[in-house]
Amino acid sequence: MTISFRVDSRSAVPPYLQIVQQVRQALRMGVLEVSDQLPTVREVVSATAINPNTVLKAYRDLEREGLIEARAGHGTFVLRLPPGPPPGTHTRLGRSLARWVREARDAGLDDESMEALLRVTLQAADEEEIA
Amino acid sequence: MTWLVWRQHRIQFYVGAALLVAFAVAIVITGAQVANQFHAAQAACTAGHGCRHLGGLFMGSDVVGFLVIATLGAPLVVGLFWGAPLVAAEVEAGTTQFAWMQSVTRWRWLRFKVGWMMLAAAVWGGVISALVTWWSSPTNAEQLNQFNPGRFDLMDLVPVGYSLFAMGLGIASGALLRRTLPAVAVTLAGFIAVRVAITLWVRPHYLTAVTTFSSVVNNFTPAGAYWKIAQGVLGPNGKPIPQPNGIPFFNGIPQNALPASCSSVFNGASTPAPACAQALAHYREFITYQPASRFWAFQGIETGIFVVLAGGLVAATVILLLRRDA
Amino acid sequence: MTPAITTTGLTKRYGKVAALTDCTITVPEGRISALIGPNGAGKTTLLRLEAGLSRPTAGQVIVNGGTPRQDPAFLADIGYLAQDIPLYRRLSAEDHIQAGAHLNPRWDSESVRERLASLKIPLDRAVGKLSGGQRAQVALALILAKRPRLLLLDEPVAALDPLARRNFLALLADGVAVGGLTVVMSSHLVADLERVCDHIVMLSASRVQVCGDIDDVLAEHQVLVGPNKDTTAIERDHYVVQATRTPRQTRLLVRLNGPVIDPAFQASDVGLEELVLAYLGEEASAAPGPSGIPAQLTTVGDEGK
Repeated sequence: MTISFRVDSRSAVPPYLQIVQQVRQALRMGVLEVSDQLPTVREVVSATAINPNTVLKAYRDLEREGLIEARAGHGTFVLRLPPGPPPGTHTRLGRSLARWVREARDAGLDDESMEALLRVTLQAADEEEIA
Repeated sequence: MTWLVWRQHRIQFYVGAALLVAFAVAIVITGAQVANQFHAAQAACTAGHGCRHLGGLFMGSDVVGFLVIATLGAPLVVGLFWGAPLVAAEVEAGTTQFAWMQSVTRWRWLRFKVGWMMLAAAVWGGVISALVTWWSSPTNAEQLNQFNPGRFDLMDLVPVGYSLFAMGLGIASGALLRRTLPAVAVTLAGFIAVRVAITLWVRPHYLTAVTTFSSVVNNFTPAGAYWKIAQGVLGPNGKPIPQPNGIPFFNGIPQNALPASCSSVFNGASTPAPACAQALAHYREFITYQPASRFWAFQGIETGIFVVLAGGLVAATVILLLRRDA
Repeated sequence: MTPAITTTGLTKRYGKVAALTDCTITVPEGRISALIGPNGAGKTTLLRLEAGLSRPTAGQVIVNGGTPRQDPAFLADIGYLAQDIPLYRRLSAEDHIQAGAHLNPRWDSESVRERLASLKIPLDRAVGKLSGGQRAQVALALILAKRPRLLLLDEPVAALDPLARRNFLALLADGVAVGGLTVVMSSHLVADLERVCDHIVMLSASRVQVCGDIDDVLAEHQVLVGPNKDTTAIERDHYVVQATRTPRQTRLLVRLNGPVIDPAFQASDVGLEELVLAYLGEEASAAPGPSGIPAQLTTVGDEGK
């Protein structure tokens, strides 16, 4: 299996959306590549104990978006990557972010402070772009 | 379904079979001894050495004798231990919800369970009865008391009827009350009540009893193993003479009701006065009885009654279980 | 597609006590339906009526296209598991497997043996000597081996630890994914059900409060938060499930009957757990479940949630 899903019941994000987001994320990170096969509904269900219709709904939305394609009798396959920088970029940036997180933790920041810092930085960046 | 019945009840079957085997061993061993003694005594009797005290010669083993009498309760045993829990224990444990949600209908489940149990009851009653009847044949031949209540109930056909009835009563009580202990209590009380009631009040009337009159001096005794229902003496006025305990009797008439001419008998006379014999001619002995020839008819009728009762109880069980909520 | 279950005005009385009153629901095929309600609400009664173990006092129940009846074909299509996990205590799991093989037309013995082996539950020990959780696993494996079209489960995961629960729910979901299976499951644990169930029936005080696909039900409800002001208009137009008034704000959980046109109130989505608590947390008042008719407001203390 190329990708393993994790569905968090306590998240405010509904399960099917979590699946969709995780597929998109996997595509951006290069975990999933074009013409890779996605896990079957049964595989997802058995790993996450969510309703099969939830998986079907997620895959349907992704198919409508054009990212994946269901081939009858063969399975569901990745059609193309979502628009944006190539997968390598995400991996590279992810690694430098991990370094920053380590540094922040060593400095004594907790997760909430780090998230707040990220939000403030994003806002500032937005304002900079508008300006 | 047969597989399930066997798997659920095989311990009961083994216990029952073991009891029967143990009982059979005791009966066969002692019964053979008794039969030998009897035949030897008979042979001695026909060879002219005196037969009078044949009856006192043997009683078999006291323990086994007691056991034989105890088989009066044997039909009840299957009703209490196999019948009452059959439905009740499963309802109590909730396992009916397991069984009835397999693809077997309640009717199928019931008829297999009840069917095999009734068969088992019949076998139980039949085997015990066959053993007891065989063991008792010398006693029966000698004492001719097999038609009497208490011995009639032990032999031949009726124990099969009683066993079927006890089983049916146990199963029906369990189905009605849905709890084992109350069902056991009802089966116990019900079986005893019905058996006593039928023996005392219904059995004497299966066929109209025969009443025979005879002279008090030379009274009539029915042949063979008859069942005496009533016996007494009618006075010259045609009314039965009360027969109190504790006072001397002469020819079946108590001293206080004898004609005066006969009182010499109590004063040491070896033969009664001639006038006494004449006076006695006005008295009549009567005996109301069921003739020995009716023994098998009675066995058949009583067995039939209990089989019909058993059938009714099974029908009631079926209706209860099929119509009620599980 | 015929629904797996349809009931119309279904009522069950035991003497004077009404266990289920005027219950009308539909469970479409292929759903995993959560049957939720406080104790004594009528969940077990409803499941037993659907299984054919008891008969209605009034109304109708149709299961797999027919009335529940004593017919091997009908019984073969239903699996019912009672809350107290009835198994023959003196018999082993293997005995139960063989009993099932003898009594059912479709029976997958191997699936039970494999599953119990993977859970390390001995096949040859008397079931009465197993722990409660192990017994539950045996019962659940047996009921799946029957390959029914409809599973009616009364608190099936109550005796299981969280990992076992997750594992079993995955198994159910897989059965539905394969096709040809509908599940109705009663439970107290809303969080579990939220991930695996896509249909919900809420019972309270013997009546149905809500019945429908979870997505639809959630879409029909909203939380409206706003200042303390007159809310008569909202109450008139929509069904207020729960209202919380604190000195600073009013919070209404509302079943929508069209859009809410009151700019003072901010609308947000409702989560399933909150919705269930709102409907079932208080005893249902005289009016039955919402049918578009506004019911009276119920004010819930001063705790803003």
